[in-house]
Amino acid sequence: MPNTVDKALNLLRFLPRVCLANIRDNPGSRRGPRRGRAQHGGDKHGAGNKGSGQRQNYMRIGYETGNNPFYLRFPWEPYYKGHHLKRQYPPLSMLDLQKMIDLNRIDTSKPIDLVAILNTGLYKLFPDQHQFGVHLTDDGADIFDAKVNLEVQWANELVVAAVERAGGVITTAYYDPHSLQAMLNTKKFFERGIPIPRRMMPPPDAIEYYTDASKRGYLADPEKVSEERLVLSQKYGYKLPKIEDDPDYEMLTERKDPRQIFFGLDPGWVVNLRDKVILKPQEEELLKYYAS
Amino acid sequence: MLTVLPKFRNCTCIARKYSSAVVSSTNQNENIEIRKLKFPPKYQKPRQVWLENLDTIEETKLGLLDLHPSIFAANPRIDLIHQNVKWQTLYRYVSYAHTKSRFECRGGGRKPWPQKGLGKARHGSIRSPLFKGGGIIHGPKSPTPHFYMLPFYTRLFGLTSTLSIKFAQDDLHVVDNLEIPTEELSYIEELVKSRNWGPSVLFVDDTDIMPINITAATDTIKHFNLMPVYGLNVYSMLKHDTLVLTRSAVELIEDKLLTHLHKNDTRAVMSKFKVDQQ
Repeated sequence: MPNTVDKALNLLRFLPRVCLANIRDNPGSRRGPRRGRAQHGGDKHGAGNKGSGQRQNYMRIGYETGNNPFYLRFPWEPYYKGHHLKRQYPPLSMLDLQKMIDLNRIDTSKPIDLVAILNTGLYKLFPDQHQFGVHLTDDGADIFDAKVNLEVQWANELVVAAVERAGGVITTAYYDPHSLQAMLNTKKFFERGIPIPRRMMPPPDAIEYYTDASKRGYLADPEKVSEERLVLSQKYGYKLPKIEDDPDYEMLTERKDPRQIFFGLDPGWVVNLRDKVILKPQEEELLKYYAS
Repeated sequence: MLTVLPKFRNCTCIARKYSSAVVSSTNQNENIEIRKLKFPPKYQKPRQVWLENLDTIEETKLGLLDLHPSIFAANPRIDLIHQNVKWQTLYRYVSYAHTKSRFECRGGGRKPWPQKGLGKARHGSIRSPLFKGGGIIHGPKSPTPHFYMLPFYTRLFGLTSTLSIKFAQDDLHVVDNLEIPTEELSYIEELVKSRNWGPSVLFVDDTDIMPINITAATDTIKHFNLMPVYGLNVYSMLKHDTLVLTRSAVELIEDKLLTHLHKNDTRAVMSKFKVDQQ
C-alpha cells in the first residue's frame, strides 16, 4: 500500500510540468494586511467612539474606578510567602527519558547525568529562575526498561523502583546554581577558560533529602542504600537484579564525588579546548581548596 | 493571444521518453563505481536514476545510481514551493512607488476662501485630499523594502520538494561530468534536442569552476545555464524545464540537505540570524 507521498509523486508523473506559472499557496493560508476603504473606511480604525477605548488609555489592571479594589480589600494572606525562594525542579517523565534512549539521544553505556540530558537539546533548564535540575516523574514508569546509571535531582519512590527493576541504579544529587550554569552549555563554559568550580553542599533544607538512603541521596551511606534497594524490591514485588553479576558492573557503580560536576573532570581543572589540554592545579593551597 | 502564449509555454504536457535500452557495453559499466548511500533509509526504498553521459550526442547509460528518498522522493509540497518562489522574488524587491501627503505637496497653506458667506463648502487648504492635485492618503512611500526571511525549514523543504518533483516528472538527469568534446553551440543544442530535455536546461556541478567547453557553448544560449551547488535554488529549478546534475553535485546536495534535515541544534544556530517576520 503506497503512502500519500508515493501517491502524490506518482500522480505528478501524469500532470503537466510543475513550473513558475502553475504553483500556488494553500487556499486561505494568508490574509494580507487590510485597511478599510470608502466612506467610513478610515473613520475610527476600529477603536470605537470616545473614552478610554478610543484613546487607548485603559485603566490599570485591578483598578475599580475609585472603589477599594478587590486586590487591596483583604490586608494580608501570605499564601505564596517565600515562593520566589523555593527550589524548582522542572519535570521530565520516564516516558520522555525512555524515548530519548530509544532514539539514541542518550547513550546508556555511560552514566546519565544532567549534562547528558541537557545535551539532547530536548530538556531546558534555567538556573536563574531557581530551577535546580531534573524532577524525574513517574509517567511511563511501567514501560521503562532501560538499564541505566541515572543521576537526577528529584525522584519519587515509584521512579526509583522502576529504574532498579530494570537493572539500573539511580542517585539523586544536588547541584548549586554555579555548577548548573557550567553544565548548561559545557562547550561554552570550557571556552571561558575558568577552572571547573567545586560543587557546593546542599542548603540546610535539602540536606535531609540528599542524605536519605530511601531517596537514593548522593550523600547517603552506600550500605544503607543497598539495604533500601532490597526493601523497595520487596515492597513493589520484583526480583532485584544483581548488579555484582552484571557485565556493566563498572559503569553501574560509577559515581561522582560530592564536589565533582563532570564525570572524569575534577574541580579546579581548566579544560583548554583550543590546545586540547587539561591544566591541573599544582599549588598546595589550591589543592587544599578543591579537595573534597 | 500572443501575450498569453508564453505563459502556457512551460506548462504543456510533453510526451516523455520514459525509458530506453541501455546502450552501454559491459566493460564500460565495470568502471562505474556503485553509489552507496551514506545514511541508507530505514523504511523507504532508495530511488534509482540512470547515470548518463554528455560526451556524445546519443545518450549512453553508464549505470544506475541510488538516490536518497528523503531528498529525491520527499513530500511534494506545492505550497512550500510557492512560498519559496514568492520569497525569492520579494526579498530583494524594493518598491519605489511614491506619493505625497497633503503636507508634502507644494502650497496649500492659505485658506482658499472664507469660512462663511460664499455658499460654498468650507475648506482650509487646496492640497486637502478632497482636492484635485491634493495629497494622497495612505499612499505608497518610497523606498519600501519587502525583505523578510523565510523560516529555515520552509526553505529546506522547498528544495526537497522541488528536487522530488523534478525527479518524479523525469526532469532530473544525472551525468558523470560536464565535459563535452567541443565548444560548438550546435553540439549542446543537438544533444538537448535529441534527448528531449525541453527548451531550457540548468546544469549543476559541485564547484563553480566549470569545464571550458560547456562554459563557452552555453555562454550565448540564454536558456542553458550553469550553476554550482551552492547557488541551487527553488526558483531556478522551476524556471528551467530540465535539471541536469553531475554525480558529485548529487553527492553534495544529499550530504548538505541530509545534514540539515537531521541536525538537532537548528534553533541555537539559527537564532543569530533571526529577522522579525512580517
